[in-house]
Amino acid sequence: MRAYLPDYELRVPKDLEEALAFLANEPGMWKPFAGGTDLMVLLEAGKLEHTKFFSVWNLAELRGIEVTDESVTLGALTTYTEVRRNSILQEEFPMLCVAARETGGIAIQNRGTIGGNIVNASPAADSPPALLAYDAELELLSSKGARKIPYKDFHTGYKQMKLRDDELLTGIRLPRTTKSLRHYYRKVGTRKAQAISKVCFAGVAKIEDESVADVRIALGSVAPIVLRCEKTEAVLRGKSVDERTISAARAALINEIAPIDDIRSTAKYRLRVAANLLEDFLKTVRDGELN
Amino acid sequence: MSARIVKPGAIGQPFSRVDGRLKVTGKATFAAEYKVENVAHGALVFSQIARGKIKNIETSAARNAPGVILVLTHENAPEMKKTPVFGSDSEEMGAASSSILYLNTDEVYFNGQPVAVVVAETLEQAEHAATLVAVEYEEKQAKLILQAEKPDAVLPEHIPGEPSDLKQGDAEGALAEALYKVDNIYTTPPFNHNAIELHATLAEWSEDEKSLTVYDSTQYVIGVQEMLAKKFSLRKENVRVIGSFVGGGFGGKGNAWAHVSLTVAAAKVVKRPVKLVLSREGVHLSVGGRTPTEQRVALAANDVGKLTALIHTGFTQTTEHNNFAEQFTFPARHLYKSENIWLRQEMVHLDIVPNTFMRAPGESPGTFALESAIDELAHEMGIDPIELRARNEPDRDPVKDLPFSMRNIKEAYRVGAEMFGWSKRHAAPRTMRDGRFLIGCGVATAFYPAYQFPAAARVEIHADGTAIAQSAMHEMGMGSATAQAQNLADELGLSFEQVRFEYGDSNFPYAPVAGGSNSTISVGAAVKAACDDAKKKIHGLVGEDDASPLKGTRFDEVEFREGGIYRRDDATKGETFHAILRRFEEDKIEGEGEAAPGAESEKYSMGSYGALFCEVRVDEETGEVRVSRFLGVYDCGKIINPKTASSQWRGGITMGIGMALTEEALFDVRKGRIVNPSLAEYHLPVNLDVPNIEIHFLDIPDPLTPMGAHGVGEIGITGVAAAVANAVFNATGKRIRDLPITLDKLL
Ligand SMILES: Cc1cc2nc3c(=O)[nH]c(=O)nc-3n(C[C@H](O)[C@H](O)[C@H](O)COP(=O)(O)OP(=O)(O)OC[C@H]3O[C@@H](n4cnc5c(N)ncnc54)[C@H](O)[C@@H]3O)c2cc1C
Repeated sequence: MRAYLPDYELRVPKDLEEALAFLANEPGMWKPFAGGTDLMVLLEAGKLEHTKFFSVWNLAELRGIEVTDESVTLGALTTYTEVRRNSILQEEFPMLCVAARETGGIAIQNRGTIGGNIVNASPAADSPPALLAYDAELELLSSKGARKIPYKDFHTGYKQMKLRDDELLTGIRLPRTTKSLRHYYRKVGTRKAQAISKVCFAGVAKIEDESVADVRIALGSVAPIVLRCEKTEAVLRGKSVDERTISAARAALINEIAPIDDIRSTAKYRLRVAANLLEDFLKTVRDGELN
Repeated sequence: MSARIVKPGAIGQPFSRVDGRLKVTGKATFAAEYKVENVAHGALVFSQIARGKIKNIETSAARNAPGVILVLTHENAPEMKKTPVFGSDSEEMGAASSSILYLNTDEVYFNGQPVAVVVAETLEQAEHAATLVAVEYEEKQAKLILQAEKPDAVLPEHIPGEPSDLKQGDAEGALAEALYKVDNIYTTPPFNHNAIELHATLAEWSEDEKSLTVYDSTQYVIGVQEMLAKKFSLRKENVRVIGSFVGGGFGGKGNAWAHVSLTVAAAKVVKRPVKLVLSREGVHLSVGGRTPTEQRVALAANDVGKLTALIHTGFTQTTEHNNFAEQFTFPARHLYKSENIWLRQEMVHLDIVPNTFMRAPGESPGTFALESAIDELAHEMGIDPIELRARNEPDRDPVKDLPFSMRNIKEAYRVGAEMFGWSKRHAAPRTMRDGRFLIGCGVATAFYPAYQFPAAARVEIHADGTAIAQSAMHEMGMGSATAQAQNLADELGLSFEQVRFEYGDSNFPYAPVAGGSNSTISVGAAVKAACDDAKKKIHGLVGEDDASPLKGTRFDEVEFREGGIYRRDDATKGETFHAILRRFEEDKIEGEGEAAPGAESEKYSMGSYGALFCEVRVDEETGEVRVSRFLGVYDCGKIINPKTASSQWRGGITMGIGMALTEEALFDVRKGRIVNPSLAEYHLPVNLDVPNIEIHFLDIPDPLTPMGAHGVGEIGITGVAAAVANAVFNATGKRIRDLPITLDKLL
C-alpha cells in the first residue's frame, strides 16, 4: 500500500556542507535522495524505513566523470545515460556501459545513478558486478572528512554496508588497468529488459602464454550481496584454460556462491547458469571472441 | 449510360485510427479523467483471508484520519440488490462478475475481496485511511489449489452454449489400439489481463437520487447500466454509463467488478461524486484473471496420419459465486477430423477471486494444448506438421456436422510456408545453430469462432453532407470506431472524412459487450440497418417529389454515392443530400436499425483461422528463449481496415509470446493471495522481447456475414503459445507442456 505523503519530508540543501549537516546533526534520521528510482518504488509500496530525505541531485561535487592518467572517477550521481555515452568508459570499462544499457528503460537510465545502485545494495543490482571486476574504490565523505574503501569490502551482508550514518558516497574510482583485459558481461532475466536479474555475471581476464595471468569475477543474484568470487579466481590464476581447469573453476564457483529460491528463479537454476556462464566466459576469453 | 468514376470505398483501406491523435495528444478522456465538480476519492480495503467471516471491523482510526468523509463497510452500506452474473443466465444477460453481495455481507469468499470503502477529500487521504481499517476475521478452511480439489470437480451444465462432455465413437478404445499416439497433460498458469488503464469508476447522483451518471472503464456500458439500475432500484433510462475510451480491457472490463457498485453506493451516502481508481495491486486482488488449466490431449493416428482418436479433456477452476467455465475444448471441436472424439471439461470450485474472460478465453489455453499435441504426433510419425494438419482437415464441422461458411486454413499455411521459408527448417530437433544459440521453427493453427450478437444503431445525415452514427459500442484500442466509420461511409456513399462514429455511452442504441470479437460484425450490421432506414427515408422524400430528378424511381433503382442519391441507370440524374435537405427545410434525416445473426448462421460452422510460424533462438547456457521471427497468416474474412486489423494481430501475438514465455500470476497457496501484483514481477513482454511480427491476411470474404467480415481481435493470441513451444522443441528437443516456458525448464 502506498505511503501517506504528508508523513514525509524532502529537503533540498543549498550545498554539500548543508547536506552533510543533515546527516551529522540527526544521525540515522536523514537519507539522501538521488535519482529516486529505488526510493520511489519503496514509497509506493509503503516500505520506506525513513521519513526524512534530502535531495542530492543538485550537488555539483557528486556529478561528472573525472579522468586522470591512473583512474576514472565517476561522481556518485553519474546516471546510466552518462555512463553509456562516455567514450573512455566505452573503451576501457565496457562492462559498465553494457550494464548501464541493460538497466531499466530509458527513463530509469536518465534518472538512476550509479551511487544509488551501490547504496541501495540490492544483491541483484547490475552495475556492481562490473564495478567489482574492475576493482572499484569508493569515496565517502562526512563532515568529519573523506575516506576511501575498496568496493569489494563495502557490502557486508544483505543490505548491510560499511557506510556510516553521517556519510555520503561521493565517487567511484576505477583504476585504468583494464586495457589488456578481456571483458565478459551477461545479465540473465525472464525478459530482455526491465527484469530483475536471475543471474548477472561480470568477468575480466588476461591470458598470457596460454595461461590466466589475471582474472576477476563477480556475480549478482547469487548471494546476499553482489559477490566478488576470489576463491574461483584463485583456482584459475596461472592455469591454462583447459577442460580440467574449467571443471575445477565450476566446482569452486558453486561452492563460493549461495543462491536462493525466490519468485524470480530457483537456487538450482542459478547455480547451473552461474557455472555455465563462467565456462562460457573462460572459453570466450581463451578463444578471443569478445562480447 | 454515361461513364463515371467509381471511387474505391472506405472499406479495405488502411485508415489510421480516428482516436489515435486524441490519444497521443492526451485529449482522449478516460473514465478517471472526467472533470466533475466536488469529487471525493475512494479507496478499497481488501480482505487478507481467503474464506471466513468478518468478526469485527474497526474503522474509528480511519474515520478520524485527515480528510476522511466516510468509511463504508457491511455495517453501514446501503442495500445493493442481487443482479445476474455475467454469462450465468441466458435469459437475462447480467454484468456482475460474481453473486457476492459486496458490503452487504460479512462473509469473505476470497483473499482480496473488498470489505470496506474509504472516501476522502484526496486520493492520498483515502488510501492512507484504508490502511487504518482493522478487520478481525473468523477464518474458515479455504479451498485454494486446483489439483487438490480435483476429486470434487463438477461437470458444468454447458460451456458457453456447448455440451461439457461430448463423445463421438470410442476414442479411448481407438487410442488403445492405435499404431501412433501421443497422450500428455498440458498445464497453463493463472494469467492477468494487465490492461494499461487501471479500472476506474466515477459516480455522480442527481440531487433527487433518482438518476445516476457513471463514468466507467468498461467493455459493456449497457450491462453496467442494467446492473446498476437493478442494484439501486432505479429506472434504466435514469442511469447513464459513459466509457468513451477504454485503455485496454482484454476481458478484464467485461464484467462489473466490486468497485463499480461500491463507488456508486459511496457516492450515494456521501451525496457527492466519488471517483475510485484501483491501484495495480487492487486490480490483481479484486479483478479476476484467467483460470489455470490442466488439459489432457491424446491423439491417435493410423499409418497414413489420419486421426483415429482425438481426446481433449481437463480441468479449470472457478468459484461457487460465478461458475465460469473456460471453454478450452472449443478448438478441438472444429479443427480436425477424427473417427473418434471425446471432449470433456470439468470445473473445480475454489475460494478465489472470480476468474473471467481473458483474451480468447478457452481458445488460448486450448490451442496451446491441442496444437502442441499435433506437433508431437507429427514428430512421432516423422510427418511435417503442416502436412499432418492438411491430412486431417475436415470438409464439414466435425462435431456440429455443418458446412463451414468459410475456411481457408490450407491456403493460409501454403502462403505462410512460402513467406516464412518453412522448407528450410530442419525437422530434427537440435540441428540448427548459430553460435551459442539453438534455433528452432514451429507452426500452429490459430482459431476463434465468428460471433455476431444483436445490436442497434442510429444514424443522422446532416444538411452539410456529413453523417454520424451512434451505438453503445466500445473502443478499447481495437480500431472499432475506425472500422465502423468506414462501414458508415460506404453505406451512405460518403467519404471517410465526412462521417463520424460515436460510441461508449449507454444513451446510444444498444450494443453488446465488447467480447468474443463480435463488435465489428454485430455493430456493423446494425449500422447498415440504420443506414438503410435513413436511405429509404431520403428516397421516400425525393421519389415523390416533382422537383427531384429521381421522381418515380423505386428504391432498388437508385444508389447512394458521393454525398447524394443517383439513378443507377443514369448517373447524371440525382441530387446531393445537401440539396434535398435544403429543399425540404430539414437539418437532418435520421435512421434507426437493429440487427441480429440471421437464421443462416445456424446452418453453418463459422470460424476464423490462422497459420502461425515462429522461429526462436535458445541460449543453451542460460535457457533464455528469444522469439526471433513470427509470421501470422490470417483467414478472417474481408478485412475492413488492414492497418488496424494487423495491429490487432500483432498485439495478440505479443500477448501470446507473453503467455508462452513470461506471464504467470503467482499465488501464496496457503493464503490464496497473489504475490506478484505488479508490472515489475508479472512479466509481460517488453519491446525487446517482440520481434518484427509479419502479418499477412487472405482477405477472402465470408458470404454469410455483414461486410463479409469477421472479428479479428481474439484470434491473435490463439495458437501463439503452441507455435513458440513447438519452435522451442525443434530448437532444443525439449517438449515443454507446462507454461510459461521459463529458463529453468530448458536447462
Ligand atoms: C523500472 C525500474 C527498473 C530498474 N531496473 C534496474 C536494473 O535493470 N538493474 C538495476 O541494477 N537496477 C534497476 N533498478 C533500480 C534503480 O534504478 C537503480 O538501483 C538505481 O541505480 C538507483 O539509483 P537512484 O539514484 O535512483 O537511487 P535512489 O532511489 O535515489 O537511492 C537509492 C538508495 O541509495 C541511497 N543513496 C543514493 N545516493 C546516495 C549517495 N550519494 N550517498 C549515500 N547514499 C545514497 C539512498 O538513500 C537510497 O537508500 C530499476 C528501478 C526501476 C524503478
